[in-house]
Amino acid sequence: MFKKTNVRFIIISVAIVLALYSLYWTFAYNTFSDNKIEELRSNGKIEKYEDRIIRVGLDLQGGMHVVLELDLPKLIESIASNKTPQFYSILNATTEEYKKTGDDFFNVFKRQVEDNNFKLVRHFSDRGYKNSEIISSLKDESKDAMRRALEIIRNRIDQFGVSEPTIQKAGQYRIIVELAGIQDPASARNLIQSTALMEFILLKDPEVTQSFIISVDNYLKTGRKDIEKPEISEEDTTVELKESKDKAISVNDLLGMTAVDVGIEQDSSDTALVVDEEIFSERPFSSLLRNVGSRIGIPERNVYAVRKILNDPEIRKLIPYDSKVLWSAKPKRLTMQDGKTENYYLIYHVNRETGLQGKYVTKAQATVGGAGTTSAGQPIVNLNMNNEGAKIFSRLTGANIGKNLAIVLDDKVYMAPTIKVKIPNGASYIEGLESIGEAKNIAIVIRAGALPAPVDVIEERTIGPSLGRDSIQTGIKVGIIGFLLVIVFMFIYYRLSGLLADMALILNIIFVMAILAMLRATLTLPGLAGLILTIGIAVDANVLIFERIREELEKGKTVRAAIESGYARAFITILDANVTTGITALILMQFGTGPVKGFATTLLLGIIASMFTAIFVTRTFYNYITDRKVLRTLSI
Amino acid sequence: MRFFKETNIPFVKFSKTAVTASVIFLAISLISIFLLKGLNYGIDFTGGSLSQVRFDSTATTGEIRQALSSVNLQNSIIQKTSGVNEFLIRAPQIEDMEDIPGEIRRGLETLKNNSFEIRRTEHVGPKIGKELRTAAIWAIVSAIIVIGIYITIRFKFQFAVGAVVALIHDVLFTLGIFSLLQLEISLSTIAAFLTIVGYSLNDTIVLYDRVRENMKKRRLEKIQDIINISINETLSRTIITSLTTFIVVVVLSFAPGEVRIFAIAMIIGVIVGTYSSMNIAGPVVIYWQQNIHAKKK
Repeated sequence: MFKKTNVRFIIISVAIVLALYSLYWTFAYNTFSDNKIEELRSNGKIEKYEDRIIRVGLDLQGGMHVVLELDLPKLIESIASNKTPQFYSILNATTEEYKKTGDDFFNVFKRQVEDNNFKLVRHFSDRGYKNSEIISSLKDESKDAMRRALEIIRNRIDQFGVSEPTIQKAGQYRIIVELAGIQDPASARNLIQSTALMEFILLKDPEVTQSFIISVDNYLKTGRKDIEKPEISEEDTTVELKESKDKAISVNDLLGMTAVDVGIEQDSSDTALVVDEEIFSERPFSSLLRNVGSRIGIPERNVYAVRKILNDPEIRKLIPYDSKVLWSAKPKRLTMQDGKTENYYLIYHVNRETGLQGKYVTKAQATVGGAGTTSAGQPIVNLNMNNEGAKIFSRLTGANIGKNLAIVLDDKVYMAPTIKVKIPNGASYIEGLESIGEAKNIAIVIRAGALPAPVDVIEERTIGPSLGRDSIQTGIKVGIIGFLLVIVFMFIYYRLSGLLADMALILNIIFVMAILAMLRATLTLPGLAGLILTIGIAVDANVLIFERIREELEKGKTVRAAIESGYARAFITILDANVTTGITALILMQFGTGPVKGFATTLLLGIIASMFTAIFVTRTFYNYITDRKVLRTLSI
Repeated sequence: MRFFKETNIPFVKFSKTAVTASVIFLAISLISIFLLKGLNYGIDFTGGSLSQVRFDSTATTGEIRQALSSVNLQNSIIQKTSGVNEFLIRAPQIEDMEDIPGEIRRGLETLKNNSFEIRRTEHVGPKIGKELRTAAIWAIVSAIIVIGIYITIRFKFQFAVGAVVALIHDVLFTLGIFSLLQLEISLSTIAAFLTIVGYSLNDTIVLYDRVRENMKKRRLEKIQDIINISINETLSRTIITSLTTFIVVVVLSFAPGEVRIFAIAMIIGVIVGTYSSMNIAGPVVIYWQQNIHAKKK
């Protein structure tokens, strides 16, 4: 007949074998050379390992964690028709309150609409008549937009090629993206975040643009004194033109010095704005601008000032109603007439109305511009449209020969070539890209389609691979030192019983790691901290038991009886203590964003494992010893 | 080996002094938190942007600030870390500048003759910061409530009161030290606070467990005597466990970054937790038993 102790040994052995088996994959994987991993990958066996190893968190291997939120106000704005100032004022008030209070967007919207006695049907007539009907339809639309956004972002990342990306929905309108081992976080971020809304928009006639610029100048000169005057350094007066007050000025005169594109790398280290003081007081806005070919350029140092002026709500009113101002995607390196080089951004004054939407684009392919074109040898993205798109494009180009058409992606202008002939087949391309890598990314986002609404990055964390390596090394070092100290201490204080506790501790760690591997959980730096804390908890369980046994021995009980009642009494205490710590861990998991969750997971696993090792495993060994012979003394 | 054998220290007798000392320190903590220094919230809670940068050769904060002024981020807080040529750059919240880490990179690229590596960036929007803060407070409060319910079920209501008072004592105490030393409060610190809550509770539960046992055995004795005996009986265990945990967290405090702050919080917590379960959790039960519980009867 099997003795009870033997059954216990069998249970322990099975647990240990299972644990070691589940850890085997991690161990084997880590001993593989890069070549071996490559070989396994090519014959498809790597997944067998990758599915079973303990995954290492972004903080330990480097990578990027991004939280995106669907821009609901923009989504609502894009759905609405016949937008009036009152509509905008309600939407803006909603946005502000939503950002400040963090309440549900649609509750805030509903409140705003009701408070203002506003009728939504004027703007959303196709969604019902009653406000409540329309709001619930908008809510559905948002949920749908969220589903599409998730799908599109997933597609983009798949094409980008990152191993084991995590893309998950969080809350109602958020997406968490985690990419391990990313080398260039900025380009990954652009890939994920770009709305990829492509548009072809006609530029305004230069005369219209010119009168707009003059009106801004006049407004700043007379109407407003509170626009900050930029700081000007003494020696930096590179602009030499001066105009008399009453002379009529053309855009070209206005913009002064002409820059030519030669692209020489040369650093200009002074950071003051490039304007002449006298000219600035005369023409506060246009003196910040330069003439670049037939376009309006802005030296990089003036960008901040120009943006500030253009974003001013009063100035916005001066922009003709049917137009808007867009910026170039990238700065251009140009050399001025006096030989100095500078980075320039270009601004484009374009129609408010889109000439052709990007949704007609069916194909986007990154390639290199052919010989004889303006982009010979440069990376470009070739675009093809479907029939419907080609028809619209042909009409658009045919009717506007001689005008300029801006190719706009996410409100940034990539190029604005002059339309020379009618283009019937819907073929087009994007140029002005930095590298073939960028061209590929742009092609990916266009192919994957535009997001239904922009997404905002509300949280972003990146960890470089070197930092991760440092952390894992110190983490392991510190962990081992702490562990060894505890083991030595336990042995000195409790002798052979201490050794038994030490064995339980080692088992404890093996079990926690094994469960982590089975759950496909991720080990993070806080997770390692939790693991180390687990040691403390497991020790406590043993200490409680040993102290209790000592007490019972002092009362004059036999070794066997003392062990018996020591375990029985200590068990209640351990249970109560561990349940309360477990409650804390569970709540942490609930509340948990990344780091805290990792900590809580290992802590909870540690508690469970320590109940098993400290109570069941050590007890079995004691039973084994006392079964065999009657002990007079116990090494404790 | 044995540190304690059959102690009979009159803890309960000292409890008035201990409670007075605690009240004084808690008053200092509250004054520091609400009136003087406040709490040093990290960007997890305030929102903002942080970059950890390592340069190849020596750099000064002045040079870095100069470089950052080219992207209008000269108002950043620039801090040297313990690493070689390593700095933390905290940029202020700028609303329409979306890619602050990118801007910082662009700014630093203007530094001549010094290449650099961005080792870590964190960018937390103000809304997320607020949400995390709410979630953290909610987590601590709900942990205390659920634990209170558990203790009421397993023990008695007055024990739950004692445990909760001890917990609040510990959290306030630790917060007070964080405020006085202006240590940063991040997500890891919140995890540490909750661990302190769990740890201190562990000690309290062990004590209560013994009190419960002794109450059955020694029905006729006074509650203060029972508690005193129980504290003495569990003293050896309390000290040994605290000592081993202490060893571990002291070693942990040599780890880098977030783990270090976590360890510091835990060091404070182990000391305060051990102290409060003996000197706060016990006396509260005595007070309740003698004044409130007795009057009801």
